[in-house]
Amino acid sequence: MVGTREDFERATDQILDDAEADEVEIRISKNDTALTRYANSRIHQNIGQKDVNISIRAVFGKKIGSATTNSLESEAIKECLSRAETIAKHQREDADFKGLPEPKEGRRSHDNFVEKTKTFSPDERAEKVKEIIDMAKDEGIDRVYGAFKTEAQNLYLANSNGVENFSRLTSSKLTTTAIADWENDQGFGWGEKCSANVEDIDHLEVGRTAVEKGLNNLDPKKIDPGEYDVVLEPLAVKSILQYMDMMGFSARKVQEERSFMKGKFGEQIMDERVNIYDDALDQDMIGYPFDYEGVPKQRVDIIKDGVANEVVYDSYTAGRDEEDKESTGHALPMPSPMSPMALNLLMDTGEQSQQEMIEETEKGILVTRFNYCRPVHPVKGILTGLTRDGTWLIEDGEIKHPLKNLRFTQNLIDAFDNIEGIGKERELFAMGYLPAYFAAPALKIPDFQFTGSTEF
Amino acid sequence: MYHGASMRDLVDFGIEKLEREDVRYGDIRLSEIETEVINVKNGAVEAIKSSESRGYGIRVIDGGWGFASSADLSEKGIEETIKRAKKIARASSKASGKIDIKDIEVFEDTYTTPYEKDPFKVELEEKLDLLMEVDDRLDIDDKIKVRKCNFNAWKTDKIFASTEGAMIEQELVKTGGGLNVNVSDGEDTQKRSYPNAFGGDFHSSGYEFFESLDLLGNAEETAQEGVDLLDAEQCPEGEMDIILNTNQLALQVHESAGHPTELDRALGTEASYAGTSFLTPDKLEDFRYGAENVNIVSDATAQGGLGTFGYDDEGARAKKIDLVKDGLFVGYQASREGAAEVGVDVSGNMRADGWENLPIVRMTNINLEPGDWTKDEIVEETDRGIIFDGIKSWSIDDKRLNFQFGTEAGYLVEDGEITELIKNPTYTGITYEFWKRCDAIAGEEDWRLHGVPNCGKGEPPQTMQVGHGCAPSRFSDIRVGVGEW
Repeated sequence: MVGTREDFERATDQILDDAEADEVEIRISKNDTALTRYANSRIHQNIGQKDVNISIRAVFGKKIGSATTNSLESEAIKECLSRAETIAKHQREDADFKGLPEPKEGRRSHDNFVEKTKTFSPDERAEKVKEIIDMAKDEGIDRVYGAFKTEAQNLYLANSNGVENFSRLTSSKLTTTAIADWENDQGFGWGEKCSANVEDIDHLEVGRTAVEKGLNNLDPKKIDPGEYDVVLEPLAVKSILQYMDMMGFSARKVQEERSFMKGKFGEQIMDERVNIYDDALDQDMIGYPFDYEGVPKQRVDIIKDGVANEVVYDSYTAGRDEEDKESTGHALPMPSPMSPMALNLLMDTGEQSQQEMIEETEKGILVTRFNYCRPVHPVKGILTGLTRDGTWLIEDGEIKHPLKNLRFTQNLIDAFDNIEGIGKERELFAMGYLPAYFAAPALKIPDFQFTGSTEF
Repeated sequence: MYHGASMRDLVDFGIEKLEREDVRYGDIRLSEIETEVINVKNGAVEAIKSSESRGYGIRVIDGGWGFASSADLSEKGIEETIKRAKKIARASSKASGKIDIKDIEVFEDTYTTPYEKDPFKVELEEKLDLLMEVDDRLDIDDKIKVRKCNFNAWKTDKIFASTEGAMIEQELVKTGGGLNVNVSDGEDTQKRSYPNAFGGDFHSSGYEFFESLDLLGNAEETAQEGVDLLDAEQCPEGEMDIILNTNQLALQVHESAGHPTELDRALGTEASYAGTSFLTPDKLEDFRYGAENVNIVSDATAQGGLGTFGYDDEGARAKKIDLVKDGLFVGYQASREGAAEVGVDVSGNMRADGWENLPIVRMTNINLEPGDWTKDEIVEETDRGIIFDGIKSWSIDDKRLNFQFGTEAGYLVEDGEITELIKNPTYTGITYEFWKRCDAIAGEEDWRLHGVPNCGKGEPPQTMQVGHGCAPSRFSDIRVGVGEW
């Protein structure tokens, strides 16, 4: 398999030489993914995937066409360019398109590439998984589930205006679900860790967290839906940030009046301790230093001291904005109806520990994580979803007993305007289906609206 | 041709190598996938994208399961990928336990999606002209902030071969499209789509299916209803009868019948990601899932279904099986391994997203069989209820019990007549309680086979195209109007 920077440069030279278009963009990505899945305390899926993808955007004036191939062979590249140019010639003009980006100096970034993650072998993954299985068994749990994934990616962006960027990164993620059995009951528990360096993942700690939660989650009681104070662990907060991002933080959604940020800029919409920003170059983050158009990624302070401050742009949305805007470096692989998007969101930490939040709660609910969240009304910021893998009742500052899972239907903006406590530590999580990462602290939020319950 | 070799040559080479490697079982699936996407938005072509992808996945049992995939279409690349799959399988054996797979009939066969017009051979100009005209017809009011319409086509040529002797060549063609508007009056925002959300509707068919959608003829009415939603009344709260139109009922079937009858979920192999199922093996043929009029099948042979094919990705022939019969839970969507574990039949539901992913249990076409009402009769015999139309919001717990859905539009029914358009309609329930309350299902004449192109499952995440056939149906005393607005 080819896929070095030199291969990418050679392909780019060929495309730029052959192109008839006024402007050309070349995006090449190479992914090497390995993943071991385990269930019922045995490995049931174990895979290795390698692929390379070349995407060409050809531009004639304001007419754009794009084509992709997964072959770096000369003939395939030539044919791909021909398809992109043919499409562009048949295109209609897009008056809002202002051209492909020009070269721009980026900030210095930390190295997200760790050789050990790239070379982590199937045997090493299997051994770590086996140690989790054995540890759980020692604790009386015969059924653990999860996945251990490592990825190494190269991304290369070049265009006929002189943009040329290459970067590589690695990421690794381990998840564990433990299911404790007792009489006819099951207790679910969850553990998760994500890092650019696979050696930073303490697999037994992830496993122990899941086992402990599973054992403490037996015999859950049903509680009536209603308004409760909640202590949300960082993973639950990550889900909220992820959907806030989808519902509001993109310039495209603001321009199309589909964002809860529309018309609110400069207004205090959340508690003044809330700071949410996108910064791929933050030390806590995994991310490329440039976006999928080759534009250097800027830090964007989306919610600053609780004020709706700014949103993320790609070159297209910057070009069509009523105000004079520049791309903030948040393009997705183009063309994309989802672009731009914040892929590296962080929320500032506060001053409380999660334990202190629990101790200061008279009556409330502790949530490990949420399942199957979906917007109900994106512009109002209303989200629904369910608790999963560990939910407990808090009374008089102590965890009383586990609860059967609950459905929430909540206006997120109201919830973040109402925040009572912010955790003093944050954890990094991967989104799962995009190279997106979120760093979230625990939160305490009063009067969270639970609208239904389920049977387990 | 790849390095001078045809797809078939490469598969023959791969199988010969696998047989020499002395693995207990091996298969190779080589695919060439072509896609075309055209998105028109607000009078401009937002995207025209053409993509091609070629590669293969190799699956082996050698102590444990191993799977490796690659786009390196050389003999050397195939040899290296086989070695990688074997190495992974040996690593799996450290903690994989005993693996059994159920015997299936071994086929040497070909299958091609029946179609009239190859969507990739229709001139780009023709598609663009049509979509631009649709866009123009959507442009009826300043409150419409976003107008979108789209055309999508996929063609997959794939060869599956196994060390058991299978050699199956398939050409699968899928086509579809749709339109939608986002409307805003500065205070509220609404969305309306035709024929459904998720980009419209899709079939295993040629360009003729896209033409049959008649986007032009449905543009203005859809846009107008989007605008009307801004001034519509909010969905009432309480319990009442609800009628699900087919575009929403398709998703209800998908989430509350399709996923919980996947045997891998029931056995726990998705427990850490997609979740498990309340339909555990002990409930098979011993659990009342719904009312006696509820019959749900998995049917990979349904004509035009987005989940229709000749053979699945472990070589099992497409078939139709009962999942729910007369309201009783009677069947699973099962792989060869799952079928061996539980002692059920292999259902032919193993499918992979592209060549690079491992096949897992996926829906084909999960269909609610027609009943004996007409849609008009159902409305006429409803005292007070809401008709739900057009997918907008969907969520369900990880055992597939508690669900909550929201649709783009609702229509209030009073004394057997539709009286009012309502906005932000939502309903919620527990799966088996909900299906037990199904008291009317419309018949063949109202039955529609919808395509859902974006079902997510598996790690790494895979997206699958599935079909759902159903006719409008009524459910009694369901909670509606959830949450504070």
